[in-house]
Amino acid sequence: MKNIFILASIFLLQSCSSSSSSEELGPVQGQDNNDPAPVSLEWSIPISEVLDGGPGKDGIPALVNPKFSPVENISYLRDTDLVLGIKNGDDVRAYPHAILDWHEIVNDNLGDISVAVTYCPLTGTGIGWNRIIKSSETTFGVSGLLYNTNLIPYDRATASNWSQILNESVNGELLGEKADLISLIETDWKTWKSLFPNSQVLSINTGFSRTYGISPYGDYNTNNDRFLFPTPKDPRLPSKERVHAIVDGVDAKAYRFSDFTSNNIIRETYKGRNYLLIGNPNFIVSFELAGEQTTLDFEYIHNGTSELLVKDNEGNEWNIFGEAITGPRTGQFLGDSASFMGMWFSIPAFYTTELYGG
Amino acid sequence: MRTLFVLLIISILAFQGFAQTCCSGGVPLSNNLGLPNEGKGVISLGLNYDYNNLNTLNAGTTKLDDSSRQRITNSVLYVMGYAFTDKLAVESLLTWVNQSRTISQFGNQSFTETSGIGDGVILLKYSMPEVLGNGTALNLGVGTKLPLGKSDIITEQGIQLTADLQPGSGAWDGLGWASVSKGLNFRPSATVSGSFTYRLTGVNNSYLNNSATYEFGDEIQINLGYTDQFLMFNTIFNPGVVFKYRKALEDKIDNQGIPNTGGEWIFIRPELAIQLTPNIAINSRFELPVYSYVEGTQLTPTFRVSTGISYLLNTKNELLIK
Repeated sequence: MKNIFILASIFLLQSCSSSSSSEELGPVQGQDNNDPAPVSLEWSIPISEVLDGGPGKDGIPALVNPKFSPVENISYLRDTDLVLGIKNGDDVRAYPHAILDWHEIVNDNLGDISVAVTYCPLTGTGIGWNRIIKSSETTFGVSGLLYNTNLIPYDRATASNWSQILNESVNGELLGEKADLISLIETDWKTWKSLFPNSQVLSINTGFSRTYGISPYGDYNTNNDRFLFPTPKDPRLPSKERVHAIVDGVDAKAYRFSDFTSNNIIRETYKGRNYLLIGNPNFIVSFELAGEQTTLDFEYIHNGTSELLVKDNEGNEWNIFGEAITGPRTGQFLGDSASFMGMWFSIPAFYTTELYGG
Repeated sequence: MRTLFVLLIISILAFQGFAQTCCSGGVPLSNNLGLPNEGKGVISLGLNYDYNNLNTLNAGTTKLDDSSRQRITNSVLYVMGYAFTDKLAVESLLTWVNQSRTISQFGNQSFTETSGIGDGVILLKYSMPEVLGNGTALNLGVGTKLPLGKSDIITEQGIQLTADLQPGSGAWDGLGWASVSKGLNFRPSATVSGSFTYRLTGVNNSYLNNSATYEFGDEIQINLGYTDQFLMFNTIFNPGVVFKYRKALEDKIDNQGIPNTGGEWIFIRPELAIQLTPNIAINSRFELPVYSYVEGTQLTPTFRVSTGISYLLNTKNELLIK
């Protein structure tokens, strides 16, 4: 009887627990409406696997049109630090992981390109999204939520939540909307500054006080056993090994750096699409070939100091962004592939993943 | 013993009624342990309110220029002690916790809070007066932290919050406690004291819908204090100052350390207790960090304020009266 009384008391006490949350919105770039969007309870991913990461909504502040500095003025990067790169005409920019670790999203404009460079430090995935959605430009912020330990950005125009690796809205007004991908390349700082010595690099003068260059997650990037949240693991490769993933629907194919040891070029047909993958110890890039491009034969000509990457049988020379720099197709681009770099574990956590070479 | 048990349960229920109408508690468990043994048969009751404000973002010992994140913990702590003998006593601590997280960024404000019963503590204490010399008292205690609080609260949207926003830890902890005090010969009204608390944390095996285990870092706390006494308006005042050292080890998920958890702090805490009657005293404390070292980058305490009232009930005397 006494035990029942105690248990009943504890139950009564526990039943008092509750939570609540609210939002007040002020004027923000990319957000016309200052009324908080109604909270949507409908998710296209299992809600029980969506977790609060801890810092809260905008606790990790995304950057909007930040400052850049020329390569020669950058002193906060080590040669082995990774950067994400983008090119639009002569405008070439690098977004170092060292800053993205602390901000996760950079909303930027390069000429006519309105891009959100999204980066999740917990999955190592860097993906570019077009910020023009349904004809309106938005900015993305960090929701503070995670799915399979991966970043969930939110767009400030509708407050819809998006899965970074799934590249689609998973909650809110834009539920089901796919992100329009913008190609990024990932390489180390030493390679980047050799390839693009005249490029612009994200400045540490972000307006936020952070210890850029010191990872907020310790040895997370290299410790295969360290995870901050539960997520599926796949034993085929070390969890934190960096791979290049090509995604197609619910499927993906992953490529390792070691796949490019004997040959820097891989021609693939995956899910009925033709791909050209080019890799070396410093980067892996991929392009989807269509039309006449599928008939081209490519030869690896990269010398480590020039942006030139491959030459084809027509005499065209193509750079790392898939742009023909010389030859009869000068100015043309190889097709973008739906692809990104990331830690191995994160690909099979989201996609049915085939590993190149078995 | 049965009387004590019934009193404890009544106290819990009374506390519940209070909690529903008032915000409270941040689980400063170690701060609120260590009632003195007031003698055989004496019941000590205490009700404390604690406000803990974390609005300072540190990287190691460096304060970052960023006040966009704020964590506030309101706690109500109900302490009850009973002395079986002049040396052996038991002490219990029940808490009600309200924790909030406010992000003020880009002109927006995002607010999340949880409220509920927090974890409790039971501590068995043994006093050894004069064992370290004339005018000294040495107290030793062992106890446990009971996982009374919920550790799986979800938001209205259905999203489970992280461990440090939950009212409870979901784990049983072991507690070791020791305190020593000595009256000063050259100033009989003054006492110097010290206390040591070690919290050996347990593991929450049902974290995040049973998908992981979570363990808060072990915690050490050392207090060194000086208290004096003076009479004013026919009332006894006890001003004091305490230096508190606290070290917390890193938290673990699935037995792997979590970056940006754990650290070391030194606080200074002026405090004042006023003896309103022989049985009733009120107290207030203000705690400021003088040294903060956090692992990685973390919010760290900015200040803490607490106040409370305590009441001594001598059951033996009452029985005699009856």
